[in-house]
Amino acid sequence: MAGVQAVFYREMLMLIRRIGGLGYLFSGLLFPMIYLLAFGWGLGESVAVAGGYIAYLAKGMLAITVMMNAFQQTALSVSAARFYYRTFAVLRLSPIHDGAIVLGIALAGTVRALIAAAVVFIAAKLFFGIAILTGPGVLGLVLTAFAFAAFGVAVGLSIKGQEQFSIVINFFITPMTFFCGSFFPITNLPSVVQPIVRFLPLSLTNQLLQATSFVGEAGIAALALVFFMLVIYLYSTYRVHNYSEF
Amino acid sequence: MSVLVEQVTCSRHGQAILYNVSLQIKTGEVLGLLGPNGAGKTTLIRLLAGLARPDSGRIRVFGEDASRRSVTFRSLIGLVPQENTLESELTIEQSMLCTAKLYGIVDARARMEEVCQQFQIGSWRKKYPVKLSGGMKRRAMIARAMLSRPEFLLLDEPSVGLDPDMRQEIWQAVRKLQAMGKTVLLTTHLWKRRRNFVTGLLFCERERSFIRGQPRGYVNRFRQSRRLAWKMPSWRWRLKGGEPGDGRRPSGLLP
Repeated sequence: MAGVQAVFYREMLMLIRRIGGLGYLFSGLLFPMIYLLAFGWGLGESVAVAGGYIAYLAKGMLAITVMMNAFQQTALSVSAARFYYRTFAVLRLSPIHDGAIVLGIALAGTVRALIAAAVVFIAAKLFFGIAILTGPGVLGLVLTAFAFAAFGVAVGLSIKGQEQFSIVINFFITPMTFFCGSFFPITNLPSVVQPIVRFLPLSLTNQLLQATSFVGEAGIAALALVFFMLVIYLYSTYRVHNYSEF
Repeated sequence: MSVLVEQVTCSRHGQAILYNVSLQIKTGEVLGLLGPNGAGKTTLIRLLAGLARPDSGRIRVFGEDASRRSVTFRSLIGLVPQENTLESELTIEQSMLCTAKLYGIVDARARMEEVCQQFQIGSWRKKYPVKLSGGMKRRAMIARAMLSRPEFLLLDEPSVGLDPDMRQEIWQAVRKLQAMGKTVLLTTHLWKRRRNFVTGLLFCERERSFIRGQPRGYVNRFRQSRRLAWKMPSWRWRLKGGEPGDGRRPSGLLP
């Protein structure tokens, strides 16, 4: 546990320094805020969903913000620490368990993503006057943040160059952004693809954000998200264990 | 025996970097690792630190298998790599405190003060690496590696970027480590300056073999090996105490 604290402390110190630069926080927020404002103002009246489209969209933007910030910033940070700053070796050399390294970095990524989500939440409240969070929603955001931060560790350690990062973004992150129920309900998709999309991690987050209790599908979504999180955590630990400077 | 390397082969992109290398390092020994660029010095350092795994063969450090990278193994190793590994977002003090926490040092601040005093890291410890000279960063990295009191210290080109006075300080620090009974493996081109405390030399040749001997034996070897010197002109000039093209007359070790 001391190892996790040490890694988390180090990552948070580095985050505080980076967050001091204004661009760092706002670059992560720009994307969801543009979508929220553009789709909210442009389509708000014409899309019919229970509870109103803007409230629906705001929840979707929260899910996207958490996913993007947790994954992208963690993956970039880990890969830059490998390729450019060579600082990942400092962690790898220290006598702490591989799982503790992943846990420490992923927890810091979770904090970073939740800070960004808090800003989107405040913006949604300010611009549209909507309160959008429930108990399942908060749990969904925390689990999603951790899972994608751990995924960021795995990707940051797996890619052979920064250019490969765009492959992961194009094949995993972008499709999830648009198909997983952030902009419109999954039921609008063709029935053939619905069963696949329903169990993608971001769909599970959106299900939890739209739910008011853990009864029924929301409970299954929470369990599926926990399962996904554990699988990713174990894979990231495996990647740390097999870390090589070659 | 503190370090045992047995028939280690390591390749990258299908090209052998080290081939069937075997060597032993005794506890308390300060071993110099010499060789031209691309001979595999840094690869050997990385393998010994557990930052890479060999294709075949075995490396044991104080009985711990380097390939397994156990927590015990990592607590024995201190590494100062060639490149700067100080975190750009942390001050030197923060970096050292973080490292102390990572190594589970109980009184981290007291230990940091002790090491800072030992390596003369003064008020500039509050600065970020970007504000420091290459020599200062180098010194901070060595001090940081010393925080955990490693039994086996690997120094990859520790004198790079340092002025002559600072270089002397680094060698003095290595002498201190030697007095403390630590095992040290260091790579450098400027071996003449440290030969009076280095207990042995390892020379990596282009054929990927490692030859071991005493410093004086190597001087004799180089005297007889004009072919080797011809293949590595810049290195030969450094051995003579000068730099290529600096106008100094060759003198000293080589004919």
